[in-house]
Amino acid sequence: MPPNVSLPAGRTGPNDTGAGTLTSSIRIRLRTPARLRNLELFLLVLAGALGLGAMALGQLGMTGETDAGILWSFAILGVFVLAFHVVLRVVAPNADPFILPIVSTLNGIGIGMIYRLDLYSGTTGWASDGVRQIVWTAIAIAAAIAVVIAFRNHRVLQRYRYIAMFIGIVLLLLPLLPGIGREVNGARVWINIGVASFQPGELAKIALAVFFAGYLVTARDTLSLVGKKVLGIRFPRMRDLGPILVIWAAAMAVLVFQRDLGTSLLYFGLFLVMLYVATARVGWIILGLVLFIGGAVVASQTLGYVNGRFNAWLDAFNPAVYDSVGGSYQLVQGLFGMASGGLLGNGWGLGRPDLTPLAKSDYIFAALGEELGLAGVFAILALMLILVSRGFRIGFNGQDDFGRLLAVGLSFVIALQVFIVIGGVTRVIPLTGLTTPFLAAGGSSLLANWVIAALLLRLSDTVRNQPRVVVSP
Amino acid sequence: MSELTLLVLKLGFLVLLWVFVFMIVYALRSDLFGPRARRLPASETPAPPLPAPAPAPAPVAAGSPVAASLPTAPIGSDQPATASRLVITSGAKEGLEVPLTDEQLTIGRSSESGLVIRDDYTSTHHARLLRWKGEWMLEDLGSTNGTFIGGNRVTSPTAVPLNTPVKIGTTTFELRR
Repeated sequence: MPPNVSLPAGRTGPNDTGAGTLTSSIRIRLRTPARLRNLELFLLVLAGALGLGAMALGQLGMTGETDAGILWSFAILGVFVLAFHVVLRVVAPNADPFILPIVSTLNGIGIGMIYRLDLYSGTTGWASDGVRQIVWTAIAIAAAIAVVIAFRNHRVLQRYRYIAMFIGIVLLLLPLLPGIGREVNGARVWINIGVASFQPGELAKIALAVFFAGYLVTARDTLSLVGKKVLGIRFPRMRDLGPILVIWAAAMAVLVFQRDLGTSLLYFGLFLVMLYVATARVGWIILGLVLFIGGAVVASQTLGYVNGRFNAWLDAFNPAVYDSVGGSYQLVQGLFGMASGGLLGNGWGLGRPDLTPLAKSDYIFAALGEELGLAGVFAILALMLILVSRGFRIGFNGQDDFGRLLAVGLSFVIALQVFIVIGGVTRVIPLTGLTTPFLAAGGSSLLANWVIAALLLRLSDTVRNQPRVVVSP
Repeated sequence: MSELTLLVLKLGFLVLLWVFVFMIVYALRSDLFGPRARRLPASETPAPPLPAPAPAPAPVAAGSPVAASLPTAPIGSDQPATASRLVITSGAKEGLEVPLTDEQLTIGRSSESGLVIRDDYTSTHHARLLRWKGEWMLEDLGSTNGTFIGGNRVTSPTAVPLNTPVKIGTTTFELRR
């Protein structure tokens, strides 16, 4: 095969000796990680510019001047993010270079919007949600750094799957305890710890994802291969499905009891997708969707507040629904806000997102839509999409099944949460109260999502460092 | 603050936001569109699914002026005579293919190995496969149960011929083009 031989020879220059290949292979090994981290650093600089820009422009739009003090405290967050970057350079040099910049940008834009809404309401100091959000972000980043340092290998988590299950259930039950539980807007999902209140359900989703992944890895063969076939779907034996079903039913019951529909929907979706990914049976998705639609119809007929949500969704512009308590006022205000934003938005600090109730938390997406317009909102959604796709990619490239399932589960949780919140705000689906990941005000949500980001970073590092093939019986 | 300035700042922010998005997408392009096409030798493009045993490297290497530079060919340049993939022919992951790069492939039970084989007969650091002068050499790293090329135990670094079963523990693999 002469052409095959001559071609590589033509490509090797006179300098390319045996030593050349050796050094070049070493160079490649040394450079690749640094290249990833340098890319991350470059993107972080842009992310910082975006965050600072959001903050400063919000102040300019609202007051006509910038307040150096709050910008400095915001800059401290930049130091935290850079610290995370440096830690990654040391402990996870092969980690994905996009997760940290995307997450920082989203978080910075969220803080900018929350602070700008604070300026309207005139709150300062600890009463200001913006300041609290900055502090919570710092705590969340510190927690994420701790996770990356503490878990050098994600497979450790697999060992603790039942502990994770226990932690998840305890976290879900905490708000029901009489001493520390607290009810806000009809949903009993908060606990009070000293100065701050906390939504433990947010952290429970990580614990449950770890448990689902760990359990499904050990049980998936029996789940997908053993059992009776009914209507073309193979149903697993109860003793295989039992533990996970019990946990899931308990979680759902607790959530329904706490009247937190959004979170229960989130867990339902997480459970379904991880089961599907583990067993590769489409039947689960069909069964789950049927169950979900059936449950939703039943709930909308029997549960008063669910019925109200459905009415507000289907008949939002009916004046009677608009004016009624718990009606569509908030939803329609959000829609009006986004409509006034138009294509390019009113500009930071120049709209009136404050007219929508809960603009800082549940409705931050509508507030951003009003001030950044469709162009800005699409950019934010694109960032979310890239973040989630990176998570799936990490799962796809993973070698061990636990890591794959965990990465898919964690990134799907983010994707589903974004869909539930933004779908609700934009009237695609009935509104359910959930926080927009990384954007909305709320410490527990920030903490949980930063920990998810840290876990994805850790997983992506092991994926690149991992053996190419694992042969195990 | 004049309205014009605010308008410019607003547009500037949106532009920066999209620049950020497109920076990421640009950096991700290999993920979206597959790795950048390299000019590869013609042999790589129409790879037959199961190539017949190679006519051995000897005739090519013999005397041809090209032969001297062959072992130093850069990564990715697939030479006709050397293996480019490792195919597991029996064991837990039968049928699995591992592409071989220029780097050495360590084999063992340790999770630091490139090819991890977890069974009772494999040592933690069992063997390694490395490319030396254009040939894949297999070196046993003092394993307890041995490494066998075509049934013969490897005692010193040995060249691995194409399509010859190499047995480690309960796993057998072959090098193929």
